Formats: sequence, structure tokens, C-alpha cells
Amino acid sequence: MNSENFIVFIVDDDARMREALSDLLESLGWRAVALGSAGEYMSYPRPDLPACLILDVELPDINGLDFQKQISHGDHPPIVFLTGHGDISSSVRAIKDGAVDFLTKPFTEGDLVEAIQSAVERDRAVRQERAEFETLRGRLASLTPREREVLPLVVSGLLNKQAAAELGISEVTLQIHRSKIMQKMEAASLADLVRIAEKLQIPITHSRRAGST
Amino acid sequence: MVKSGFLLEREARLIEESMPGLGWCADPNGKFVYVSPKTLDYVGRPAANLDRIEGTDDCGWRQVVHTDDYDRLVATWLHSLQTGEPYESEHRMRRFDGTYRWFRNAAMPSRDDHGRVVGWYGTMIDIEEQKQAEAALRDSEREFSQLVDMVPGHLWRLAPDGEPIFFNKRMVDFLGLDVADTGKSGMSRLEAVIETVVHPDDAAEFSDALSHCLLTGEGFDMRYRLRRADGVYRWMSSRAEPMRDQDGRIVHWYGLCHDIDDQMHAEDALRRSERQLQQMIDAVPVSIWCLTPEGTPSYFNKRVMDQIGSTVDDLTASDRSVFLASVHPDDRPTVQPALTHSLETGEPFALKYRQRRGRAPYRWTEGRAEALRDEDGRIVRWYGICLDIDDVVMAQQALREREYQLTQLADIVPALVGRLTSDGEPSYFNKRLIDYFGLDVADSDRPGTSRLAATIGAVVHPDDAAALTERLNRSLTTGESFSLRYRLRRYDGVYRWMRGRAEPMRNCDGEIVQWYGLCLDIEDEIRTQEALRGAQDKLARATQAANLSELSASIAHEVNQPLAAIVATCHACRRWLSGDPPNLERAIITLERIIRDANSASEVAGRIRALFSQINKARSEVDITEVITEVCRLMADELAKKNIQVETDFDRSLPQVLIDPNQIEQVLINLIRNAIDALDTIVDGARLIRLRAVLDGDSAMRVEVRDVGPGMKEPERIFEPFFTTKENGMGMGLSICRSIIESHDGRLWAISNQPTGTIVAFTLPIQARDAA
Repeated sequence: MNSENFIVFIVDDDARMREALSDLLESLGWRAVALGSAGEYMSYPRPDLPACLILDVELPDINGLDFQKQISHGDHPPIVFLTGHGDISSSVRAIKDGAVDFLTKPFTEGDLVEAIQSAVERDRAVRQERAEFETLRGRLASLTPREREVLPLVVSGLLNKQAAAELGISEVTLQIHRSKIMQKMEAASLADLVRIAEKLQIPITHSRRAGST
Repeated sequence: MVKSGFLLEREARLIEESMPGLGWCADPNGKFVYVSPKTLDYVGRPAANLDRIEGTDDCGWRQVVHTDDYDRLVATWLHSLQTGEPYESEHRMRRFDGTYRWFRNAAMPSRDDHGRVVGWYGTMIDIEEQKQAEAALRDSEREFSQLVDMVPGHLWRLAPDGEPIFFNKRMVDFLGLDVADTGKSGMSRLEAVIETVVHPDDAAEFSDALSHCLLTGEGFDMRYRLRRADGVYRWMSSRAEPMRDQDGRIVHWYGLCHDIDDQMHAEDALRRSERQLQQMIDAVPVSIWCLTPEGTPSYFNKRVMDQIGSTVDDLTASDRSVFLASVHPDDRPTVQPALTHSLETGEPFALKYRQRRGRAPYRWTEGRAEALRDEDGRIVRWYGICLDIDDVVMAQQALREREYQLTQLADIVPALVGRLTSDGEPSYFNKRLIDYFGLDVADSDRPGTSRLAATIGAVVHPDDAAALTERLNRSLTTGESFSLRYRLRRYDGVYRWMRGRAEPMRNCDGEIVQWYGLCLDIEDEIRTQEALRGAQDKLARATQAANLSELSASIAHEVNQPLAAIVATCHACRRWLSGDPPNLERAIITLERIIRDANSASEVAGRIRALFSQINKARSEVDITEVITEVCRLMADELAKKNIQVETDFDRSLPQVLIDPNQIEQVLINLIRNAIDALDTIVDGARLIRLRAVLDGDSAMRVEVRDVGPGMKEPERIFEPFFTTKENGMGMGLSICRSIIESHDGRLWAISNQPTGTIVAFTLPIQARDAA
């Protein structure tokens, strides 16, 4: 694992714990940022890197579990919880809400490392998916309005003839639009285009079956 | 006998004898020289001589002259004889038959040339008829005069020119003066009379009126005041008419004055009384009216007219339409038939109806009428009154509304409300109470039993009846407020707890008139209270548990935090050392942090101990028995619920002790709770906790909590932290208790009670008295 390609945020109100964790992560060659409260974390500028958030449940300004809920809709890294006295219900709740792990103090190096790694991996996958989605969105944006009308008909599986009739244009014109779309969306095949459309959540509005709209 | 110079004696005798009188002659001495034969015939020829008896003044006629007249006659005769004056007298003379008749006897002396009396010639004429006529006239005159004087009026007579001529006796008596007394110089007698006796206010009018009459001859008629002799003026009614002669000239004025003063006063009084009555009738705040027997209005007092705003003529219209028009249309159908009914039957009329004055709003009026009957029982007249009772009716209405509202209130108020008489008999239940019991005040009446006893028997729970009766009787006797909790039977047979209260209502003399009672249904409250107590207990336990668990969690956190840091730092240290080359510099830094954090962990234990010893500042001198008693009071519900009895045994000579009462209370609560829990296992047998407070040597006191539970195998172990015999316990309670007691420089320990159970005891040092 490369120390350059991810970052670990530590949020704990106990300075000793922050020191100890920073020390440990540093000894592993990882980059760590230790913060004393949820507020400090929120105001810290996060670099565009895969990351992990080690969060103490008992924070001075907010309960860790509540904070998890608060940031669940934002662009935040996966969470590994730390607690002085873990109880089952809190840990279940935390995991259900998307936490990677729930570690009870004192924890072993192995547990911590494993949790951090799995969190970073998850973040990395999410980030990659998000980047891909952005690329596809960029390509979609390059389509002309007419092409954006043709796309749903094509991915719905309509024949060129049907799609042309639907739009009131000639089949030839449609074919031109279609090839432009394939080109702009960088789709290798119709199947590839359908997969891309699915990722972009383009609705399948028509069925090839006659009689249905 | 002397002979006339011109007549022969015989002739003279013939003349004399042919005259209708009786003739006689006498000599100058009075001796008869001749008495006519007729005279002698008349007197019946008396034997004795009629002559004057010589040498005396006596005469022989004594035999024939009336005894009453004789002396006068003789005196007159002798006088004439002596003086020679003519003799004349009237006297009665006895006739031969013994009856007397009046005669006028007259004689003239006969004189000689020298003027000497030579004889007397006399005649006697029978004047009996004349006398009788005179007497009759005199009688008549006297009668008339008496009449004039007796007539109960003042009679007077004026001359044609108005000068008073005559006042009758009554008038004289009245005025105190007679006509003759009225003369005054410088004015006519009339003017003088007027000035003297007529009231100054009336004098001018009197004078004018009289002058007018005298001038015209018209009759006079006037009322004026006349002064009585004593100066009092009295009203007179006076009339005068002129008397005229044959030529029509006025001869006299005859007047009559009639004293009408009493009448005037009576009239005045009557008028006054009438006026007063009228004023009263008009002034009384009542409308008064009369109807004829047929029902035609005949009289109304002023108020009626003011009130109805009509004239008498309108009102007295025979169909009573005006009266009826003033009556409220809704009331007319009642009023008209009622009035007609009364008129037909003669029954008194009494009705309340609305009536209005002109266009003013209708006002409630009470009309009453009764018939006045004559001796035969026939109705003469109807007398009626109308009384404005609007305010009364309104007040009554307001009162009724208020009463209704109060009844509503009493019925709606969410409580059972009742009333008792001063001796305790129920007299009123509100609707809720009736609904609750399913019976009204009188429904439980039973002969031979008082209503109170019957009601109590019917509705009060048998277990509560005696207490209620006793308390109620006490209140009834002493007037104390009544307050008790008891169960009342609902209509469906279910008994519910009530809090009953009753207060006496007293009159202005302070005597109890009634009792007002209120029952509040507290069944739900009691249930809630029980539930609440249960909940409170649970809460208290939960709080206790929470406190302890929080405490232990806090302790765990305090200890855990440095330990977790130490572990993490250890891992880091190992990393630094296992590197190639090992990073010794960083390793040493981590090791120093480990030492630091380990030290901080060990401080935690010390801080926990300090937690219980730092609160010394709250200590005060208290009586330990009071603390124990307070704890027992706090736990009374809990103990009662578990049916546990507490016995206390205090040494009364215990001195005060310097403690933190709250902490010692906590210890006691903890120990008593443990004892309660220990007794949980006892199903039958005494559930008893004994609390003792005694001296323990000279310098300490000892408090013991003994239970008779199953006891413990290892009494000393219970004080170890986290040692517990209970499923839910943390095992911290007694450990903390011991810390508290030890912080008070006392000891806390447990031993087995004999034959069963546990004694937990603690000591508290007593401050030396002299040190204080």
C-alpha cells in the first residue's frame, strides 16, 4: 500500500488516543490527520484521495453515531468506529448505517489495520465508480437534443424503423443519429450502449412489442 | 149720694142702668153712695157692705175682688182718694156664680166750685173678652219671641236703609252685643256692625253685597265669617229678604244667619280628606281602577292614565278594548277570559300579565280585583289594582335562571354533591350522585331507620360504614369539617373509593342549618397512585442502577482510555523497533507516552476513592434517629407494599453526630433495600426489619439493620466491588456504602443474624464533647 494514495482521519476527543493512533499509523507509513471533534473534522479541507474516518463514539460535541447519520448523504469516507465500552445495539446500528467496523478499546493493531484497509478499499471503489459515472455523464452531455431523444428508443430495443416512426423521421436519418450516438458515447456495441444507458439511469420507455408504447 | 145738677136721679139711674158698664158712686172718703143694681146682681148681692171700712185701709170689696188684685186695687184707690187723681184699674171680680171676670174700673172725682172733691163716679166695664184676647196675644207673642230666640239661627232685622234694628237672642249671645250697643260715632250703625263683627277679609264683600241688595231689593245670600263674643270667627251662611208693604215698599229686611262653621270645617276636612285620598290614590305606585258590575271601566287613577297613556274616556270604553290593547298579545287570551269569568261569577280576579305604557316595552304587571257588594250581596262595583312587578318577575326569573344554573352546576360539576340536614338526614343528591347510586335521596328510606342510617347501609362499603358513621356523627355534633376516604357502592354494585368532604352551612346566628357534602371519585386516582408508586419504585431502582452503572461505566472509561492509548502506542513502538533500521528515536518517544498513560490510569482508582471523601463539607450535627425516621418515612410506601414491618429501637441518650445526612440516608436506603430484597423469599412468617441505634462504646454509635431473610454465606465478601447476589445488581452498592461510612471514619460490616438473616451494621464516631 502506498502512503501517498490514501489518508486516514482520526476524530477522538482524547489527546492520548489521538497521539497513539497517529503514532501507530505513522509507524505503518500511512498518512493520518488527527482531529479533536466532529466540528474540526468538518472544517478540515479534505484532499481528493481515497480515505477512511476513524471516529470515537463519545465525542465532545456530538455522539459519533448521530454524526454518522448527519454525514451519510455527503461525500464522506467510510467510517471505522472506536468506543470505550461497546454495546451490541450501538454497533449493530452503526454497521447498518454503513460503518465498516466497530472496534472496542483497547483494540489490536491487526483489527485496526484490517478495518482501515477495507475502508480505504471501499472508498477507492466508490470513488472509481463515481469517476466513471462522471465520464459517462460528460459524454451524454455532448449529445445533441435529437440524439438524446433517439438514445432511449435505441436502448429500449426498438427497430430503426420503429424508432424513426416514433420520432417522425426517416429511417436513414435515424441511423445517422444512432451511429453518432455510438461514437459519442464511445460504445463498442449496442449491448455496451445499453449498459452505459443503464448506468446513466436512462429509462427504457418503449417496448419493441407491437401495440405497446 | 150727690145729685147731678142736670139730670134727675131717676134719669141718671136709667142712663146708668142702660149702659153696658156697671156704675157706682162714692163719697170723697171712698164710701159707696151708689152701686148699680147690675153690679149688685153681678156679685150676687153680698150680705156685707162693700164700702171702705172706717178707720182702716180695708174695703168691703175684698169679698168680690180677686185676692191677687185686691192689694194693688186698694192702693190705687187710696192713692186716688188722697190725691184726687182719676182712678183706673183693671181687676178680676167674682161673679155670683163664683167665676172671676176682668173689669176695667175707672172713676173720676167730682169737684165743687172750690175744686174740692165731693164724690167719685165710676164705671166698671167687663173686659174679660179683651183680657183673654190680650193674654192670647201675649202668649203668641211670647211664643213668637221664644221662637225667634230659640230658632237655631241668628235672626236680624234691618231698616230699609240697612240699619240694624233687631238681633235675636242667639245673635246677641253670639255677638256679645245687641243692636243698641253697636252705635259708633262717625259711621252708620250698619257700618259699625260690619266693622265690629264681620271678618275683615269678608267685610268688603259683605258690605258690597248688602248695599247691592238694599239698592235693588234682591235677596241677600252670602257666606262669611262672623266674630263671636270670644273673638273667634265662625262661618255663617246668611240670607235676607225684604218685607214689603201693600204698596210694595220695603218695610224691613229680615235676615237669617246660620252657623255653618262646623259644616265648613267638616266640608273642609272632607275635602282635604278627599284630596288626600285622591292624592294617595294617584301617588301610590299602583294602578287603581273601578269597573261597574257589568265590567265597564268607571274610574282610573292618574297612574293608569300615565301608564297606558290614554284618557279616561278611552279607558272607560265599555268593551275594555283600550285596557286589553295595552296587554301583551300573548297574555290577552288569558286575561280576557279570566276577567270575564270573574265578572260573571264574582270571584276575585288575580293574574300576572305583561302590560305596556304607550309604546314602551311591556312590563310584568300583577292585576287584582275584588267585588264590592251591598247588603244584599249584589255586586256594586269592582275595585282593582295593577302592580308593576316587572322588576320582581325579572328578579325571580334571574333567580330561577341562577337556581337552574346552580342546579346545572351541581349536576354537571364532576363530583357527587349532596346535602344533609343539620341532624344529618340526606336532603338532596345532585344528578351525578343519583346516577351513581342509582337511587335518589328518599329511595333508601325504610321505616324505623333514619334516612342517614339507611343511606349509609345502602351505599357505603360495610368495612367503611362504621368509620364513616363515627366521623360523621362527630362532625354533626361538633360542627367540624368532615373529611374521609371511603368506598361507595355504585348502581352496578361496584364499590369505588371516594374522598368525601362536608362543610356546615351556618345561619347568621352561627347555627348549623345544613351540611354540604362533596364526594370525589378517587378510585382512578388511587389506582394511578398505586401504579405510580410502582413506577416510582422502578424508577428509583432504575435510577439507582443507572447511577451505579453510570458510575462503573465512568470508572471503566476512565481506566480504559489510558489503557487503549497504551496498547495502541505499544503497537506503534513495536513497529518502530521492528523496522530496518529500527527507528529508536520514535520508539523512545512512544515508550515515554506509554509510561505517562500508565501512570494516568493508576490515578483513576485514587480519584474514585476521593469521590466519596471529597464531600465532607456538607456535614452537620444531626440526630441520627431523625435520619433513620426520615428514611423510614421515605420508604413507607415501599415497605407497606411488600407488607414489611419495621421496628425501631433507639437509644434516647444518643448524642448528635457530625455526618453528611444525605450520604448516610443513601447508606440506610441501600441497607434497607437489601433487607427488603432479602425478605422477598419469605412467603409466610414475619416480614420484619429491625432498626437499632445504640451507643458503641464511649466514642461511637452503632446503627444496625437486621432482617430475618435467608442470610448470607460469606457476609464479608458482599463489600467487594462487583460482588452481587442479585441477578440485576452491579455489585457496587455495598462497596460504595462502605466507602461512605469509611469516609465518615466509621466501619460497615455484616454478620449473620440468629437464627436467620443478616445484620448489617455501621458505626459513626461521636465527637468528644469537650472538643467542641
